Amino acid sequence: MRRSALVLLAVVGMLRGGPARAAEGSLLAVPLPDDSWPVTSRGRLTADLGLALGAPTALGTGLSTGAAAGVSFGGGLLALGARASWSTATESSIAWTVSQSDIRLRAGAALQHASGRGRMALRLMLGPTLVHESRTRNQGQRAGLTGSELEASAWAARPAADLEAVIALHVAGPWLMMLSGGPSLSLASGTAHAGWLGQLGVGWQP
Amino acid sequence: MAAVRGAGIRTMLLVMFAGCGGGLQGLGGATPPLVGFSIAVNGDVGAVRPAGDTGALTLRVALVWGDQWLTEPFCILPPESDAAAAVIQAGCRDPFGFVPLRVAANATLTEGVPTTVELLDLPAADVLVGDVTSRVAYGTFVLYDDRDGSGTLDLSQPHRTPSGGGGPPQQDVADSADIIYGASFVTMTAPDQRAAYREGAFDAASAFYPRSGCGAPLPGFSVLSAGGFSAAAGLASTVTGQLPAEDPATCAEAAPASATIGIDVQAPGPVQEVACTERTSDSTIRYRQPPADPPDLTGRTSACAHLPAYDAMDQSSLIQFVVSGRASDRCQGLTHYTLRGCRENVACAVPDWDFTANPPSWWPCPS
Repeated sequence: MRRSALVLLAVVGMLRGGPARAAEGSLLAVPLPDDSWPVTSRGRLTADLGLALGAPTALGTGLSTGAAAGVSFGGGLLALGARASWSTATESSIAWTVSQSDIRLRAGAALQHASGRGRMALRLMLGPTLVHESRTRNQGQRAGLTGSELEASAWAARPAADLEAVIALHVAGPWLMMLSGGPSLSLASGTAHAGWLGQLGVGWQP
Repeated sequence: MAAVRGAGIRTMLLVMFAGCGGGLQGLGGATPPLVGFSIAVNGDVGAVRPAGDTGALTLRVALVWGDQWLTEPFCILPPESDAAAAVIQAGCRDPFGFVPLRVAANATLTEGVPTTVELLDLPAADVLVGDVTSRVAYGTFVLYDDRDGSGTLDLSQPHRTPSGGGGPPQQDVADSADIIYGASFVTMTAPDQRAAYREGAFDAASAFYPRSGCGAPLPGFSVLSAGGFSAAAGLASTVTGQLPAEDPATCAEAAPASATIGIDVQAPGPVQEVACTERTSDSTIRYRQPPADPPDLTGRTSACAHLPAYDAMDQSSLIQFVVSGRASDRCQGLTHYTLRGCRENVACAVPDWDFTANPPSWWPCPS
């Protein structure tokens, strides 16, 4: 219970100007003990890993879920980074059950601003999305279909761009909680397809 | 080496920013059929068209899954009078005939050119007979003239005469305009070719359009042939609890891809029955309350007859008034009236109606 109260006070203190002011007790009467959730991040490298959600790149419906990871480098206003994610979605129609796995490979830059324990960024990433599709003809196995009549798979690569808002919150030591999300755009045969993606994960900044 | 590396980088950049691979279809694209049945029509439809039917032919072939149906006892028991025999003749369908349950697929047909009936869905569970470890569906291919232009074979039902009392309203649906010119499986008493779909094991003792003496249907879809058995053999087998035997020499089981189903063109007439559904399929009879006003018996055949022993129970003295359909009806059927009974059970202890002491003025039978 006491621990929870301290966490709440730390968050409020950060929002009002960071741990230093919170600790000074200028606005809050209760000072935080020195050993509560100290932040030790000093480096310019940040790595993160988390759960990824998004609209499937080429399926047109459904929710694609998976994992994402990335690194960024930069301590000032600008940071450069690279990311990769894998997610999959399965949807059905009367005739088909289709699974599509999206592998997003991205490189790009972010404009960022640190504020207390938090860091906000606007991240633009470019790169290909590799899509693997697996289609199975519903009822085909019961009907005795085999081979390509029963199931088929295909690969495709689509250029894409993601624009994400990123919020990173230093929790303790080098560890951060990271939340990001925003629109995504991919191109297929000259036609743009809009989507979205989001991520909730853990960051590490030594 | 540098050239190879440069080509690799160019390819990578092309993939990253131009994309490649257009084979994704998602949930769209054409739906391939689960199976296709090759159909060949033997004969000239023009030579057997009804007199006065001069409209353009729109020939199609439909795959129709069969119903599990038992005829009613009145139709197979020895008639107790000439009048009852006439009613049986006019109102009872072939007890060994194919009874449709559902139209599954249709294909257009040009005379003299084979066609293929493609099936996009498996037969549903209500079409399959048996349990989940051993079940089968049988279907016939019906050649018809799509007179109403609906694109599918429309099924019909017998027309009953009205009944008295309450109960749900009787719905009388007009006959289909489609004209039947043949079917690959009309009755078990004639050679047939049928579509089969089997899941799991096959129960050789199954009496669902039996082919005793023939091989089991192939797993999945197949085309089966049988030579048929006589009606006398069928009735005798029913009495002894056996299945009527087929001549093994007439039997065949083949994969759809290696079989052609032949449909012999027939004049419209008895073959129309392959498009006649039944309201009940378990041989139970719905005995009806006689209406206050006399039913219109124009074009119908009627008779007074005793109830079959297992329907009558302790009402052995009860007489039914049996009415056939009209000669012009697409489907044969019977309407049964009794002076006493319930909607679900003519021998019920507390009847829903009882006019035995005071029958309607038009009642033609002994009370």
